[in-house]
Amino acid sequence: MKFKLTIGFFIGFTSIIVLIFLSAVIAVIDYRVTTKLDGVLWTVPAKLYSRPMELAEGLKLNQDNLIRELEMLSYESVSKPDSPGQFYLSKNDLKIYLRGYQDQRSGIFDVEFEQSQIKRISNQLGISEDLIKLEPIVIGGMYPAHMEDRVLLNWPEVPQILIDTILAVEDQNFFNHYGVSLKSISRAFLKNIQAGEVEQGGSTITQQLAKSLFFSSEQTIRRKVMEAIASLLIEFHYSKEEILLAYINDVFLAQSGKRAIHGFGMGAQHFFGTSIRNLSTDQVAMLVGMLKGPSLYNPRRNPVNATERRNLVLKVLNRSNKIDDSNFENLKKKQLGLSAPNYRTETKYPAFHDLVRLELQKNFDEEELRTKGLAIETNIDPVLQESLENSIRETKQQLIKKYGTKLNDLEGSAIAVDVTNGEIKSVVGSTSPSSFGFNRSINAIRPIGSLVKPLIYLTALDKYNEYNLTTILDDSKLSLMSGGKLWEPDNFDKKFHGEIPLHVALWQSYNIASARLGLDIGYASVENMFMNLGIQKSVPNYPSLFIGSFELSPYEAIQAYQTIAADGFYTPLRSIRQIKDTKGDLEFSYPYSIEQRVRPEPVALLKFGMQQTFIRGTARGYPLDKIKSWNAGGKTGTSDDQRDSWFVGFAGELLVLVWLGFDDNRPTPLTGRTGAFQVWKNFINSINPVESDKNVLPRIEYVWTDMRDGLLSGKKCKNSLLVPFIKGTEPKTIPNVRRKCATKFDRSDSGVLDKLREVFEGGQG
Amino acid sequence: MKLIRLSIVIFIFLNILSCASNQSPREVSNYSVPVDNFSKTVELLVTNEAFLEQEILKINAQNPSVQRILISADDLLMQEKFLQANSALERAYRITKQDGALYLRLAHLRYKQGLLQESESFASKGLLLSDISSWERLLLNVYLKN
Repeated sequence: MKFKLTIGFFIGFTSIIVLIFLSAVIAVIDYRVTTKLDGVLWTVPAKLYSRPMELAEGLKLNQDNLIRELEMLSYESVSKPDSPGQFYLSKNDLKIYLRGYQDQRSGIFDVEFEQSQIKRISNQLGISEDLIKLEPIVIGGMYPAHMEDRVLLNWPEVPQILIDTILAVEDQNFFNHYGVSLKSISRAFLKNIQAGEVEQGGSTITQQLAKSLFFSSEQTIRRKVMEAIASLLIEFHYSKEEILLAYINDVFLAQSGKRAIHGFGMGAQHFFGTSIRNLSTDQVAMLVGMLKGPSLYNPRRNPVNATERRNLVLKVLNRSNKIDDSNFENLKKKQLGLSAPNYRTETKYPAFHDLVRLELQKNFDEEELRTKGLAIETNIDPVLQESLENSIRETKQQLIKKYGTKLNDLEGSAIAVDVTNGEIKSVVGSTSPSSFGFNRSINAIRPIGSLVKPLIYLTALDKYNEYNLTTILDDSKLSLMSGGKLWEPDNFDKKFHGEIPLHVALWQSYNIASARLGLDIGYASVENMFMNLGIQKSVPNYPSLFIGSFELSPYEAIQAYQTIAADGFYTPLRSIRQIKDTKGDLEFSYPYSIEQRVRPEPVALLKFGMQQTFIRGTARGYPLDKIKSWNAGGKTGTSDDQRDSWFVGFAGELLVLVWLGFDDNRPTPLTGRTGAFQVWKNFINSINPVESDKNVLPRIEYVWTDMRDGLLSGKKCKNSLLVPFIKGTEPKTIPNVRRKCATKFDRSDSGVLDKLREVFEGGQG
Repeated sequence: MKLIRLSIVIFIFLNILSCASNQSPREVSNYSVPVDNFSKTVELLVTNEAFLEQEILKINAQNPSVQRILISADDLLMQEKFLQANSALERAYRITKQDGALYLRLAHLRYKQGLLQESESFASKGLLLSDISSWERLLLNVYLKN
């Protein structure tokens, strides 16, 4: 009795222990199933996109740059576009078969150009379209530690052909089993025997999902049992649609560098450069075919295998009546039609990434960026970015050829922004722009040399009752005590130039005249102007400030010049446009913000002076009509011992700043003109900006003046130049020697008319 | 005498030429207001925000593509979806920077967002355009008085 009791107790006790153990195992698996399917699976890294290019009637655009962008997007140039991702260009007419993106439908569109402007856009029926949008380029993502990358699809976004193909190949009985199906295993076995090759797998889709989510690929009985339990639990907790959707979003399709491509949404982007809804049946078949062996059937590495496998999938579709015979025959013959891998999804443009990260850190934490699937639309223009990278790389090579290998480790940085709205279009942080590392655009704090002078001159011109462009400055020897030492600045040419008009001192970049001007207007006024222009550093009170010992990063310097290029309207520079969630709803935006910090008239005078840099100064060489149509202006800068070479210049709607130098601050053989300006020039020449819009300032008038004494002159007089003035501040006297060559019509318009125009048009002060 | 007469003719000719060159080529006749009602209208613009908004939204863009975007921006503005309205206006702004209709809306949107300094700055920037009508100029000036 005691024995029986002990046996019974033992069996009962063991059963309870086993039950508890099994329950615990099931509970653990259940917890993992729900946690993973509810959570981790749906975590998607934030993606960074270039700005999508929008084409509209009336838009000014360089046609060559549009074609370069199409090539970057892997559009194919053909004689007759008949499928998405193709275009045909004949002189001023571009036929393009758009792939479609967001609200932009796929289809053929005709874009007609007239010079550098879009004249008309029409669809296939010849009906006029106001706007069309190209898809953006993915420039990287905020990947989590496991580096899984996916584009999350919702059920309505999954095309029927994808569902049909997956079910036909992977699990025909999906809607009728409970996660594990002996029928599926036996049917797959028979089909494969009949076909003589592996057409179908034995595991159900639920099992495959369980396997990929929770278990390693080792083939043990323990793992199979766990997988079966997990499958049953998945079926218990989730509907068939939810399971299939999880599968579609989770399957592993390829490895791209360190990044794992998961799900059909990302697969479509990675291999075809478009969203899943734009894929044709053969493309879907290729992706589904890859499930059997993502590496073996990788279409880029093994195109023959991938084609054979795709055709096998098409055969299965044909047999299950999803496609008819003729369609099958046609699809079988098609090329794989892959997009070029280069521009698709790899993380590119490291310096730009840094700026984006800095901006994002203000409003998002790392966790959100790695999991919420945010779509970050940046302002980067991929064509400009590539051109800027090439320009700095190639210019360095040209400089090495000219100056020798001592420039081998020359470094540099360049930034291009849209003057009109502060959007950062491209950034380079090194002369090896594609490598990650020290980003000089934000981290190299260097003396700005003569780049400081326009800021000093603007401070003076803003006091327009005291200074104008022909105010005479003194460029004679200057000696003063600074910090207990004697300070005697020199000009670059080691000469003194006596009395010269202000605009001449600016474009000739005379140090002593600038220093004297700075001392006249005072540190407080200069500091105030620096602040207005967007410089947030305090200004040191020593006179070398006025000739460029002041230190800024390229990013800080271009921010100040943005305010100048934008006529005195300060706009914080922006690398991001907006951020959308997975549903496409706006999550956060970085709006265009402006604040008028300086009156436009003094800025117009300064911009005239900066234009002279192009016409007769250190940036000379461009034809006058080009300079005028771009409304170009700029300034070179060279710091002490030529340790830093700077150039900043605006042309059309672009403002571009370049810095070159060594990281260890040793002297270079370069000046602003021979170094940084060459990068600027190569860049601007390669993208050829469209002409800029011109504003009218009613209070500005042009007067012929003499380039030596700054007094009135005439068009026919020697050394005369048409100079802008704020009305009422122009010189009033004309020396007797020029009375003969100057006529009364040499002034642009009469005072009476000015008065009348002011009455009618108003204006601002 | 002949010389004086010739000088007068040349003077008048030059004045006409100068006036013509300064004349805005686009006149928005729909918005011209009878003189006796003018001061009342200006007063309404300054004091009645709804009236001001109504007048702003009547201003069409010159470019049809821009106009299409403005229609959707106006809808969003009326629904007080300011961020989305701003996105739409910025899209339009990337197509053209030379349309008074855009600056008016940007100034008005910022005004509604309570960003008065920005509103004023957009109005100031709009006033730099060479091709805007007197009515647009007047409307922009309303925002300078905020």
